[in-house]
Amino acid sequence: MTTMPLSRRGLIKSTALAGGGFALAFALPLTTRYALAETPPETSRVTAFLEIYPDGTVRFLNPFAEMGQGVYTAIPQVVAEEMDADLARFIVMQAPVAPEYKVLFDGTLRFTGGSTSVRGSFGAMRNAGATARAMLLTAAAERWGVDPSELAVENHVVRHAASDREAGFGDLAQQAAALEPPREVTLKDEKDFRLIGQSPPRTDTPLKVNGTAWFGIDTKVEGMVHAAIRQCPVFEGKVASIDDAAARKLPGVVDVVNLDNAVAALADSWWRAKKAVDAVDITWDEGPLADFSSEGMLNDQMARVDETGVPAEDEGDAPKALRGAETVVEATYVLPFLAHATMEPMNCTADVRADGCDVWAPNQGADSVATLAEQVTGLPHDRIRVHTPYLGGGFGRRFIIDYAAQAMLLSMKAKRPVKLVWSREEDTTHDYYRPQTVVKARGAVKDGRIQATHITVVGDGPLRRHMKQFLADPDLDESVFEGLVTKPYQIEARRTDYVYHEIPVPIGFWRSVGNSVSGYAYESFMDEMAHAAGADPMDFRLAHLGEGSSARGVLEKVRDIAGYKKGIYDADGERRVMGIALHESFGSMVGEIAEVSIEAGAPKVHKVWCAIDVGTVVNPAIVKAQLMSAIAYGLSAALIEEVTLEKGRVQQANFDTYPFLPPDRMPEVVAEVLTLDRPMGGVGEPGTPPIAAAVANAVFQLTGERVRRLPFGRRELKQVEAEGATVKG
Amino acid sequence: MYRLKVNGQTHEVDVEADTPLLWVLRDTLGLTGTKYGCGIAACGACTVHVDGTAQRSCVLPVEAVGEAEVTTIEGLSPDGKSHPVQRAWVELDVPQCGYCQSGQIMAAAGLLAGNADPSPNEVRDGITNLCRCGTYERIHAGVKRAAELMKA
Repeated sequence: MTTMPLSRRGLIKSTALAGGGFALAFALPLTTRYALAETPPETSRVTAFLEIYPDGTVRFLNPFAEMGQGVYTAIPQVVAEEMDADLARFIVMQAPVAPEYKVLFDGTLRFTGGSTSVRGSFGAMRNAGATARAMLLTAAAERWGVDPSELAVENHVVRHAASDREAGFGDLAQQAAALEPPREVTLKDEKDFRLIGQSPPRTDTPLKVNGTAWFGIDTKVEGMVHAAIRQCPVFEGKVASIDDAAARKLPGVVDVVNLDNAVAALADSWWRAKKAVDAVDITWDEGPLADFSSEGMLNDQMARVDETGVPAEDEGDAPKALRGAETVVEATYVLPFLAHATMEPMNCTADVRADGCDVWAPNQGADSVATLAEQVTGLPHDRIRVHTPYLGGGFGRRFIIDYAAQAMLLSMKAKRPVKLVWSREEDTTHDYYRPQTVVKARGAVKDGRIQATHITVVGDGPLRRHMKQFLADPDLDESVFEGLVTKPYQIEARRTDYVYHEIPVPIGFWRSVGNSVSGYAYESFMDEMAHAAGADPMDFRLAHLGEGSSARGVLEKVRDIAGYKKGIYDADGERRVMGIALHESFGSMVGEIAEVSIEAGAPKVHKVWCAIDVGTVVNPAIVKAQLMSAIAYGLSAALIEEVTLEKGRVQQANFDTYPFLPPDRMPEVVAEVLTLDRPMGGVGEPGTPPIAAAVANAVFQLTGERVRRLPFGRRELKQVEAEGATVKG
Repeated sequence: MYRLKVNGQTHEVDVEADTPLLWVLRDTLGLTGTKYGCGIAACGACTVHVDGTAQRSCVLPVEAVGEAEVTTIEGLSPDGKSHPVQRAWVELDVPQCGYCQSGQIMAAAGLLAGNADPSPNEVRDGITNLCRCGTYERIHAGVKRAAELMKA
């Protein structure tokens, strides 16, 4: 491989552009293509999204991490659209840490999550593509001595029809590189999109079918040793003492390191490191949480559901309306701690030297890895390089980079590169969990309409815990009550109270965050109110949705594609019901209908119909794949996932005790992508929140049992026998 | 010292007898396409072929491999893309994060090697590998498509 220090060749155009803050570069010829797994040379100093090689290959440096959600396709797809480039000739790589790659929130932030990548960078990426196109066009015009307006660009080629000349992007690249980027560019009219709105093949698939996709756990560095770790089983506990004599005698062992709250063993293979760390006799000082239990905390949370908290929403006088109401519905919902259970366990490789450090960290925020590296190593920012591989799942877990700090500390101790890989057991027992949350809802219903709702949520949120600086008011942590407020339903009096209940164990961002709680609680409660009103759940919802609204459009669409049936019906010798839920999150509205029967005391979900309004769609196939994925994730949690703690310890450890959705429980998913009148919405998460409620609502109709505590697997549902009945309703 | 036949090549590896084949492949031989997911044969991310049969390498001690021919994702096809399962996976864009997919592909190839035309139920029973991204529907479609490609 040629490792040419691009920035030193002096041919890089690196010009800040008005409004965008990004830069472009056209690179010198390279004799060989970069392997996709390689990190670009001189990473901390290449300030560019695009490099075009003489053969027309475009190297695109992506500010977003690919964790399955498709940003290595959808983002370059947007660039290629405006550039009139051939997406098949793009090589997508991860951008290094540099200010140019902070493309979110007016150029202030770079992270991958919150269903933000495509919608948050759409303008910047269109600009990048259009700028490259303009420069290539100008280069051709200068070469041929013609006016740029006489030229056309199509599929990687600039043409001058009048003289029948054409030049490929690769041919023009070096000439274009000598130009000043234009200050302003014209973006395409949306009706002229030929790539946005289509589903070109994913750029990452070929690497993911032959084992060459580079995940963090696959990192290989010269002179590297492998590390395995055992962390204190009780959060906030510490190492009291260790006896590592036996461990140090095992084959291949390089060192045993006491990290204060964990012990790591270093060896010439991970298996040897694992055997060694298991052989260390550790005495723990269990610390202040040695008696913590999640059930005990739940009791405390339950005791607070009628407290007046901080009003997250207060329209009309809901408490008063409820006091005077004839029919009041009340229900309390309980949601457990959840683990992320990414398929790739936490890992990080670090090489900390006197003159600098390299960190190969699966992460959802490369800048925060760099900042952490400054803190841990004491090295200046410009001596730190962060390499972001493909992520074997993220789901919010890899925002928190505790494992990266450990790898750096171990490398500093070992004075050589160290690859730290957590065992599955460490991964499950040291996650940053979806917070255990209690939601109490009260609703006044009269003549088929909701007069008032008053909802109280008791819990703690990851925003306050990890990103307090982004909260205008720390008491109003929207990661707890999002999805309980600003609902699409027309209800005159609404109050939502947030009762802050500090959770002493680690909590984090779990796919869809607070919406994973609110989607279940609120939409279960909608059905409870519909039942109290004697109305069909579909009719009841529609009665509260404005004509022409996105919510109504989505719900009607999912009703139609499902061929919605009211009440219980028979199919394949089973009694089945269609349960509904509708939830808006991350700027998108999603409606889901789950067809459910009861099998062996558990809900059997046969099929899920799903409609999403995303406003503008870049890649419909990826959106559908994300809906399917988000439904799998949410359904898995609803059916079987729960983290519990006793004596300060997480009780689940591996996939035997923390199982997730196996293939035989995956329903068929039919998804429809709508582009109604709304700004571009997010895609990775919005499919998760509704599914638990859709299933719970079906279960209630089938069995009369209202499941108000997840997961369903906590209890055995009563069997519902087919009666040969036809549709009721 | 163990002699292992992996992807048509013989390697001598100096590891303890109880070392799982997975870690020999990944750390000793550098074949990192085979993934670690759980270490208890629950997820299948580590699936390889041993004498043509799909097996979970995370619980297979190296001493138990013996003279058997081991095939990993790197050795499934000479060019890394021409096995019918790989072709089907590309055609349908099966992977998302991709971490489990080496194992899924090896499980699918193993299934099809013994049953060229599996029914949907046989696919469901034959490939129990976990996927956290929920690509199960495309995996099943991919197996069906691969079976068609094998016949063609």
